[in-house]
Amino acid sequence: MVTALGRIALSLIQYLGELALLVYETGRSMIVAPLRWRLFARQIVEVGWRSQLVVIVTGMFTGAVLTAQTYFQFAALGMKSATGSVVAVAIFRELGPVLTGLMVSGRVGAAIAAEIGTMKVTEQIDALRSLAVHPIDYLVVPRVLALVLSMPLLVAESVGLAIVASYVVGVHLLGISGPFFLGNLYRYVGPRDIKMALTKAFCFGVVIAFVSCHQGLNAKSGAVGVGRAPTEAVVISSLGILILNFFLTFLLNMLFPYGH
Amino acid sequence: MISVRQLTKTLGDQPVLGGVDLEIARGETCVVLGRSGSGKSVLLKHLIGLFQPTSGEVWVEGEEITRLPERQLGGIRKKLGMLFQSGALFDSMNVAENLAFPLREAGVKNEKEIDERVAEALEMVDLAGEQKKMPEKLSGGMRKRVGLARTIVGQPACILYDEPTTGLDPIASDSINHLIRRLQKRLRVTSVVVTHDMKTAFTTADRIAFLHEGRIYFHGTAEALRATQDSVLTDFIEGRSGDVS
Repeated sequence: MVTALGRIALSLIQYLGELALLVYETGRSMIVAPLRWRLFARQIVEVGWRSQLVVIVTGMFTGAVLTAQTYFQFAALGMKSATGSVVAVAIFRELGPVLTGLMVSGRVGAAIAAEIGTMKVTEQIDALRSLAVHPIDYLVVPRVLALVLSMPLLVAESVGLAIVASYVVGVHLLGISGPFFLGNLYRYVGPRDIKMALTKAFCFGVVIAFVSCHQGLNAKSGAVGVGRAPTEAVVISSLGILILNFFLTFLLNMLFPYGH
Repeated sequence: MISVRQLTKTLGDQPVLGGVDLEIARGETCVVLGRSGSGKSVLLKHLIGLFQPTSGEVWVEGEEITRLPERQLGGIRKKLGMLFQSGALFDSMNVAENLAFPLREAGVKNEKEIDERVAEALEMVDLAGEQKKMPEKLSGGMRKRVGLARTIVGQPACILYDEPTTGLDPIASDSINHLIRRLQKRLRVTSVVVTHDMKTAFTTADRIAFLHEGRIYFHGTAEALRATQDSVLTDFIEGRSGDVS
């Protein structure tokens, strides 16, 4: 039992060490090597544009469902008009960044791990190296930058759509007074919530990018190896997002305290 | 041009190379023979810095490359070209883009020059006019030819071939062997060919090195290999496993 736990701890330390090395190499590459703008633009399209459907559906239906559930509970207490503000705070601070992060890790993270993993096992990464091209410059940096830039925008879009859906469901479907809904929204949601949402989005983008690139670069040969890379990328990114979210919530509440 | 000194490599806990010494002179074609799993490809990848040895040294054009970090290997790698076993074409690019890639990376900006050099390289490998094809539309032999064209388009001083005929039918293999020979005559490059195909060895080699149990067991001319009475070598040349049915 102790041996097994020790082995798990060692594997975790080794994994975190490999991730830290990848982060270091990527940071170094950003300083010493010029950015490949064309690859960066292609990744922006992959990450930002091709995630639109996922982000739109996630944002709108999360906002709509959360509004309905909150309304049904609050109506019994005679607090219907507080629905908008409660939903908005929950969306800004937690659900928007976390759900968007999970959806993007499933769509983009899996694609990154599969693409880089396939390149690894078909010797395309060795071919890059033999042609004097550093794989971190060519494969990792454009993806990392595209993800850390796109994630805050995707989360902003998702949160915005969730609020719109919440207004439509709350005001037009459930009959909450529009001015009360908006009044409470403006009263209880402030710049601190926007900062929290965008900071979490940035951090989740970093997690998805590095975990997915790492899984791809370390894919084992064969169909099983390549198949495992995207699965593990999604699982590890998702767990990373959920665990990191807990710590970020405490940290960001200290940085951007409620009511100040 | 290339000097390998007491090279050892252990992968996991498996020793693959156990002290390889090999000298490859400028302009010669050295074929490295050996059974599957004998470490031929591992040795070849050390010559271009794709593997770091456990111990020992690799010198290329008077520079020791074994301790160089990845970013400092760029200069040496521009002098070497490698044909991978699978061709290793970039599958997101068509044939022309694959061939243009090393040129663009080397800083060639003139599109007309790039087009001309791509067309010339494709002509050398008998694939003129195939610029627009995607790698998945190519046969195994064509992929290797395109891989070879991508290798030679940057005009390297030395070409490393990793199993150039593996997986090809006898006629495609023969065609690749003659292509290697033709390129040697035309470009006068140093070549290192890793193979277990005796026909490739005897068609292309100036000298042959036989890798056995992690060391160079034989190093000499094709004629000397043909004349040998050593049972390890004769069994390999004649394809005798010793098994009976």
